[in-house]
Amino acid sequence: MKQSIWIIFLVMTIVAAAAGTGVCEEGVTDTEIHIGQWGPQTGPAAPWGAVARGTDAYFKMINANGGIHGRKLVHHFFDDAYNPAKTKAGVKQLQEQTGMFAWVSGVGTAPGLAVKDYLMERKIPWIGPSTGSRHWVEPPQKYLFNVYPLYLGDAQVLTDYAVNELGKKKIAIVYQNDDYGKQGLEGARFELQKEEMELVEAVPVAVTDTDMKPHIMKLKKSDADAVLLFVTPGAVARLIGTGKAMQFNPQWLSTTTCGDFPLMMSITKGLYEGVISASFGMGAVKGHIGEVQGIMEPKLELMKKYKEEAYAKFAAEDERWGYTFCAGFGLAEPLVEALRRCGRDLTREKLIEELEGLKNFKGIMGNITYKPFDPEDPLCRLGQQEVYLQECMADGQSKILTDWRETEYIPKND
Amino acid sequence: MIDFFQMIVSGVAVGSSYALMGLGMVLIYKASEVPNFVQGEMALLPVFIAYMIIHSYGLPIYAAFFGALLFALILGCCLEFFVLRRAKEPNVLGLIIITIGLEMILLGLVSWKFGADQRTMPFPISSYASILIGEVYISLLDLLTLVVALVLMIALFVFFRFSKLGIAMKATQQNETAARLMGIRTNRVKMITWGISAMVGTVAGLLIAPTIMEPYMMWDPLLKGFAGAVVGGMTSLPGAVFGAYIVGIIEHLFGGYVSIEFKSVVAFVVIVLVLCIKPSGLFARHYVKKV
Repeated sequence: MKQSIWIIFLVMTIVAAAAGTGVCEEGVTDTEIHIGQWGPQTGPAAPWGAVARGTDAYFKMINANGGIHGRKLVHHFFDDAYNPAKTKAGVKQLQEQTGMFAWVSGVGTAPGLAVKDYLMERKIPWIGPSTGSRHWVEPPQKYLFNVYPLYLGDAQVLTDYAVNELGKKKIAIVYQNDDYGKQGLEGARFELQKEEMELVEAVPVAVTDTDMKPHIMKLKKSDADAVLLFVTPGAVARLIGTGKAMQFNPQWLSTTTCGDFPLMMSITKGLYEGVISASFGMGAVKGHIGEVQGIMEPKLELMKKYKEEAYAKFAAEDERWGYTFCAGFGLAEPLVEALRRCGRDLTREKLIEELEGLKNFKGIMGNITYKPFDPEDPLCRLGQQEVYLQECMADGQSKILTDWRETEYIPKND
Repeated sequence: MIDFFQMIVSGVAVGSSYALMGLGMVLIYKASEVPNFVQGEMALLPVFIAYMIIHSYGLPIYAAFFGALLFALILGCCLEFFVLRRAKEPNVLGLIIITIGLEMILLGLVSWKFGADQRTMPFPISSYASILIGEVYISLLDLLTLVVALVLMIALFVFFRFSKLGIAMKATQQNETAARLMGIRTNRVKMITWGISAMVGTVAGLLIAPTIMEPYMMWDPLLKGFAGAVVGGMTSLPGAVFGAYIVGIIEHLFGGYVSIEFKSVVAFVVIVLVLCIKPSGLFARHYVKKV
């Protein structure tokens, strides 16, 4: 008799526990949705940590406006110092101790790769890694939604512009010797092949390189008239400065990562003027070609709103209103939109369904589109595939050079 | 052939900032036989202080630089007085660990106070102006760094050879107990050495900062300066300078003729080779302590 009471008690406990998990999704309560994010606040990659702070201000703005269907967004972000081991430890800790409903953004390819399998195996949604790497879509993952346009695309658009609109004949590239730089190299080669041209020089740069004279000597020898830059902002400043000192002045073209013109003008002491860069958003593009715009007085209505309601109210006093900080809004927008579409009845599967339903979604970035999951089609999770080009003006403002340009996805060639 | 000369000149130019860092390390090594890994950050903090003086208080550049050097002197002395000297039964390994710990503390302090954004230091000379000798370019800032490194090397060499304090420093390094018995206040000598070393490092930092300023800016020059000092011999001031030039030149020749990809690691290959072939360095006399 005693034994059967125990069995009944055990069965009831199990049933109650199972019913509990069925009703309430991890990381969601009646009043809160818990979202995780990592970003370097210290260490060599710390300038990119502004992305996480941007997202934080964005979520606080949403909460101040009433949250999403009566729930506040609780943002948990931690400093991983761009160290994949720390990323993994931090993600595991937050996920297993606090329980995140989803993860947003997250700076860096290597830190992201360290946790990708962990999140995917547990079917935890991760939206908008803050790096344009092909790893996020190849192979596509059901719970991973890329937002950031791939660097492959930047290279295509920049190369096409240099050849066909600036009439440049000798294109060279300086690329960081890692996934980011090599994608640029691949994209440039892909585009030049269409024109039956070849790169006149491809110079690798190590992240630790501070002396760029050998690199400039190689470029100078190649007589390049346009040089693509797929390196960090600091390396770009050193390259352009050393080029100036050695009287090598080609048309420099840089990626979205060096599109923060006020910052670039300040660290190059004005040498960035005339440099063309790809951009993934924040400017008013359609119908504004040839116009000069500045991030301090944004033309885009949404950017104005974010500046007044998120940055002015919730950013730290010494926070700079720049592209990196604003990327924190743009990369989180699809998640917020999908959460809104989910309604009150919020589950991870519903979120995925709503994300897959985003067609030409437009926030402060380009058009973002996803499709129902197809393990054979990277495009179903690619998100944004367009960038536009801008030129840096003397006062750090941007001259819009082109409309949004669609880029081509280049499958991985093993 | 022009390429070759350009590589040599560029190698010497970049070697100059390594040389200044190397000089700072050698100074401390001469006094206390500790490879000082906080050398970079002892320069970093004063450089950021100079930046703050210019931007927040609007003082002229030269006043800020003077302030930075003074701050460096005090910082170096304080680190020795308050931290290194307090180490109980210090051995070399323990002291190295202390310098690494201090490095992290100062780096964290700079990152916290000034943030991670990159910036540039205002400087009287344009970082991008250059002169052409034949067909070989050298930037004015590099030329200035070269001159400063050589002048400092000579000044320190003369200081060690002829000044009372310099000789006291040498004596302290060679035999601390004997030096103390001769009436030298070895603790004070060590403290001043740390101060001077921080000042020399700060000069390097002030010459690097016009190009890019960021919390990690001294890391590469420190490692290369250390490599140069090991190549030249950790106890020889001219050795540290010429060792740094050798590292700079080899880096450039390797980058130009062999592989630009592995340019930045070649310095460490040179360290290994020198340690295998002539462990005391190319220019140093090896003191053998009699027991």
